Amino acid sequence: MNSDAPLTPQEEDEALAAELALGLLEGAEAQAAVARLSQDLAFARSVREWQERLAGLADQLTPVMAPARARQAVRERLGHAVAPLTRDPSERTPWWRGPIGALTGLLAAAAVVALLWLPGEQPADVPGYQAELVAQEPALRVAARVEGREMEVALESGAAPTDRDWEIWWIAPDGSAPISIGLVPRGGSLRMTLPEGLDPAPGIRIALSDEPAGGSPTGQATGPVVAVAELTSL
Amino acid sequence: MTDARRTELEQLISRVALGDRRAFDALYDATSAKLHAVCLSILRDRPEAEETLQEVYIRVWQGAARYAANGLSPMTWLITIARNRAIDRLRSRSARPATAPEDAAAGIASPDPTPESAAILAQERRMLHECLAQLADAQAGAVRAVYLEGVTYADLAQREGMPINTVRSWLRRSLLRLKDCVSQ
Repeated sequence: MNSDAPLTPQEEDEALAAELALGLLEGAEAQAAVARLSQDLAFARSVREWQERLAGLADQLTPVMAPARARQAVRERLGHAVAPLTRDPSERTPWWRGPIGALTGLLAAAAVVALLWLPGEQPADVPGYQAELVAQEPALRVAARVEGREMEVALESGAAPTDRDWEIWWIAPDGSAPISIGLVPRGGSLRMTLPEGLDPAPGIRIALSDEPAGGSPTGQATGPVVAVAELTSL
Repeated sequence: MTDARRTELEQLISRVALGDRRAFDALYDATSAKLHAVCLSILRDRPEAEETLQEVYIRVWQGAARYAANGLSPMTWLITIARNRAIDRLRSRSARPATAPEDAAAGIASPDPTPESAAILAQERRMLHECLAQLADAQAGAVRAVYLEGVTYADLAQREGMPINTVRSWLRRSLLRLKDCVSQ
């Protein structure tokens, strides 16, 4: 392609499709291009082909797990889950919320606890790992536990200062960039399903870094690593 | 992306289209870390990226029924929604009119989503990084910055110290060269 010659009409169309796919058009030009999509199937196809082609650029982005509250918020906004304390108290209590339900729930919970924690009772085909993250300065202790693809992280002591968060990183032994898997909760524990591509194995390290509240703004650790530990088989 | 993974994601999206919440959860598990990374790359702000990610999955839930007709691969569809939402938010910060075409192109039914064309596009995606490496560094950098950071022509003009029209014509030629290279 000669760098000075004007573009041919076909090249103009192709460039316009790329610009629309990239969101580079503004004002009237953007509106005209969007309107053309529904009338000109060849143009619409060019735009889709650019979307497909360019999506490959996202391959180089390291996945960053969003905090568990993001999923909860989506569920609430779609009406798939009820936010705490939003139930109408005048509503009739369904049976599972009554005493029989509570008893059933306790028994079920006890069964799950027994399954997960009793030695020798663990299903043999689900590999389990743990890591204990401990630091003196700042003093903190965080326990991480992986069962199959479920991971649980609990703060045992040493919450981050109010305007900071401890961010959790998954570090594969192959030297690839650490992947954020969330923030250490200030109370209770964080439970999550590991995303595809994160496969628990010995040699994986879990690290905590000191980040601004809400976590690293860039998706890569910005603060000092305060603790790191290797996953060991349970 | 392997064919098996593509099929798996397509099946999840079709179940989501039918209102299957478990399929929606599974789709979220499988794809949210990538889409969150897309939002972060463009917005560079954790709370805003998280908020945008929520909007993306709400749109996925609402738009899944229209997915099957558009002929995009599942990850492209999802990444495009995430990128467009993030760019909308980025530009609303500076009160610029939103220029991301929403998901307009994805809403138009594809006349011929044949397996052959899907295979060709998959091949093109494999070539993409090789072909970017063949462009001059500034050109490849500009294409990446536009896609991954939501940079506009005005931003590029400032960055390169060139008039907008010059930058535009320069980027358009880079894009056409990229297309020629990947579709060889």
